[in-house]
Amino acid sequence: MSMTKPISRLDVLEAESIHIFREAAAQFRKPVLLYSIGKDSTVLLHLARKAFFPQRIPFPLLHIDTTWKFRDMIAFRDRTARDLGLDLIVHVNEAGRAQGINPIDYAPSLYTDVMKTEALRQALDRHGFDAAFGGARRDEEASRAKERVFSFRTAEHRWDPRHQRPEMWNLLNGRLGTGESARVFPLSNWTEGDVWRYVLREKLDVVPLYLAAIRPTIERNGTLLVLDDDRMRLAEGEKVVPRRVRFRTLGCWPLTAAIESEAADLLSVVTETLAARTSERQGRLIDHDQAGAMEKKKQEGYF
Amino acid sequence: MGAALAKDADHPATGAAAKELLCSSAEITTGDENAQAIVHVLTCGSVDDGKSTLIGRLLWDVADLPEDTRASVAETLLPDGRIDLSRLVDGLAAERAQGITIDIAWRYVDAGARRYVIIDSPGHEQYTRNMATGASHADVAIMLVDARHGVKPQTRRHAAILGLLGVRRVILAVNKMDLVGGNETRFREIEADFRSLTARFAFEEAAAIPVVATTGDNVARSSSTMTWYEGPTLIEQLNRTPPRGSVEAASFRMPVQLVVRRPPDFRGLAGTVTSGSIAVGQTVIDTTSGRRAAVRRIATMDGDLEVAHCGQAVVLQLDTDLDIARGAILATPDDPAIRTKRLDARLVWMSETPFDLQRRLFLRSATDLVPVSSVRVSARLDLETLTEIEASDCVHNDVVLAAITLRRPVALDRFADHKGTGALVLVDALTGATVAGGTAVALHEAADPEAAGFRLTTAMLAEGVCAGVEPTSAEFRRRAIALLKVLKAAGVDAALEANDEEMGGAYS
Repeated sequence: MSMTKPISRLDVLEAESIHIFREAAAQFRKPVLLYSIGKDSTVLLHLARKAFFPQRIPFPLLHIDTTWKFRDMIAFRDRTARDLGLDLIVHVNEAGRAQGINPIDYAPSLYTDVMKTEALRQALDRHGFDAAFGGARRDEEASRAKERVFSFRTAEHRWDPRHQRPEMWNLLNGRLGTGESARVFPLSNWTEGDVWRYVLREKLDVVPLYLAAIRPTIERNGTLLVLDDDRMRLAEGEKVVPRRVRFRTLGCWPLTAAIESEAADLLSVVTETLAARTSERQGRLIDHDQAGAMEKKKQEGYF
Repeated sequence: MGAALAKDADHPATGAAAKELLCSSAEITTGDENAQAIVHVLTCGSVDDGKSTLIGRLLWDVADLPEDTRASVAETLLPDGRIDLSRLVDGLAAERAQGITIDIAWRYVDAGARRYVIIDSPGHEQYTRNMATGASHADVAIMLVDARHGVKPQTRRHAAILGLLGVRRVILAVNKMDLVGGNETRFREIEADFRSLTARFAFEEAAAIPVVATTGDNVARSSSTMTWYEGPTLIEQLNRTPPRGSVEAASFRMPVQLVVRRPPDFRGLAGTVTSGSIAVGQTVIDTTSGRRAAVRRIATMDGDLEVAHCGQAVVLQLDTDLDIARGAILATPDDPAIRTKRLDARLVWMSETPFDLQRRLFLRSATDLVPVSSVRVSARLDLETLTEIEASDCVHNDVVLAAITLRRPVALDRFADHKGTGALVLVDALTGATVAGGTAVALHEAADPEAAGFRLTTAMLAEGVCAGVEPTSAEFRRRAIALLKVLKAAGVDAALEANDEEMGGAYS
């Protein structure tokens, strides 16, 4: 039998991601999908459904709720879980909440450490998950360019970039050493453009915040912040101005910069994104907090 | 409501504009299937040969780079007034300055519809290990030499690793041709050395190209000074790489990853087709049991398929339940995979701990994990002379030939016949670390499965000592192993049918 079939780039990437999901599900005892509601998580979830079809996804979803996510994100999360009949776990670092750790009064790095990194460790430990799927891509950031598809963490959830396992061919070795757990990145080889093209191709529903709309904004340190509720205190001279904005990435609202845009439907967003002049993580304020921020956060257990 | 994306007629993706967007970017289906391919390019060479500049030049000339990136790179000029192209790849240099080790870096470069994945190992430490890892993912490799120095010992080392890891297409980029005055004689000398080197390996295509990375001569555009050279530019040569999975001349292989179930009665075998294709109605054979069945359904969430092609991730439902699971390799009966307990493999030893006979290891094949009973190193490849030297041990970064004996049979292919089912890694049973990666070069076929001792099936156990116990439970396993121990003690060559590696390891 000899034939030639053109396979598109998205088909290749999709098949590879499905392969990764299946490898992880077959090798780890108790995996979980880290669901952060954004476009990457949306694609991740869709691929997980494809990987096990016609069976249901054989693991739960975990959302680390910092209590500062946009309300639209939470509504979208709950609707997705209900519509797809997903097993969704929501975890908040209650100790952090009781101490009032928030992104306005505390440095972004401290807030992220407590409400995201520490919260994630708590949730993984509490449920005894030995592997967590995440939507990270190697094209996102320099320290991720060398990340493995199966990335191992010590019992303390630390990442040791100096002693990573070599990954040859598509043989993903999921055997854990004592106390180790794994992070699994099925979207490793996707780019931001691929994610958006796939959202279009597969007709996936995304959080409306990705689409331009008139929203109440303030300008702070050269970035635009959208006020999602009344918890933000305005500095002197700051004024709330309605602007037509959208988000390129989604996170905690006081830490996520919006961009001015007229792209009010998905097609326009994708067109604009593919022609973008800057890298997407610019919208995430925590990354600029300190040099080598991502590398450091990851070593401490940030996803 | 979400982002106005209900699955209805006015979804943007159904519109003509969306179709155009998808097509113009990546989804184009033209007669030229190469146009939308993803090509994995491994770059081999050192900074001294101008590797960063060459990668930078490729990015600068062909990639859809953001304008702000171009502007910021163009700001800094070298003393001779040229743009410092290595700055395009200096994100990694900055990391090195922070003391962060980069072993392998992946860069995704879109040039029109085509995607280049540039795999690079920038460091010198663990070079063999990192290059071997990169090579296992590469469709084509660029080997870089300095025109003043020509083919060096490191070039031989690169060629040997590429050959071993099954990279079929190599390009020798003879860089810094301007420093030898664009001299054709010098290039032809290097090209001849390269030919005698590549003749020793089974490369399908080996091209030598004279380039100047700093000016871009013969990288993306033909040189106006080296007019004696009439061959392809580096980009043209890269573009000749056939996309993965486009040729399906080889026999069908699908390693089973897991069993997918849906009540009341759906049981399917999930896996990625690593070679060939399979159609509904065709007969497949499970190498491990020798049993056959016909494909009833090829299921995907996007609807059933008539044919599953190489590279596709599918679920096969068979007309007979073969009671097989992860680790099995489905093939067509005319050319099945091989069931073996003894094999010869070429290995790149990656562990920092030297080879140790006492170490408990697993062999990881496409989807199986099998306890190893012994590994015997017989020869080490001298990467300088490319000769094999008798040896009985090895340390990290060594390339060796080893005889491996397994505690139970595994389904494999010779790597030369089937990459996807002939590649393997060795895993440390205690730490889980990947200690070596390699290829199966010879398989010593195990006897017919039906004749190979007494096989304890799950069904047998469920009717006997494990009656009433959930087959996936630890208790079921405990009882099965206890029975196996008794049988073995009585001298019966018995084996469990299940592929569970813990079972395999526990009774040994």
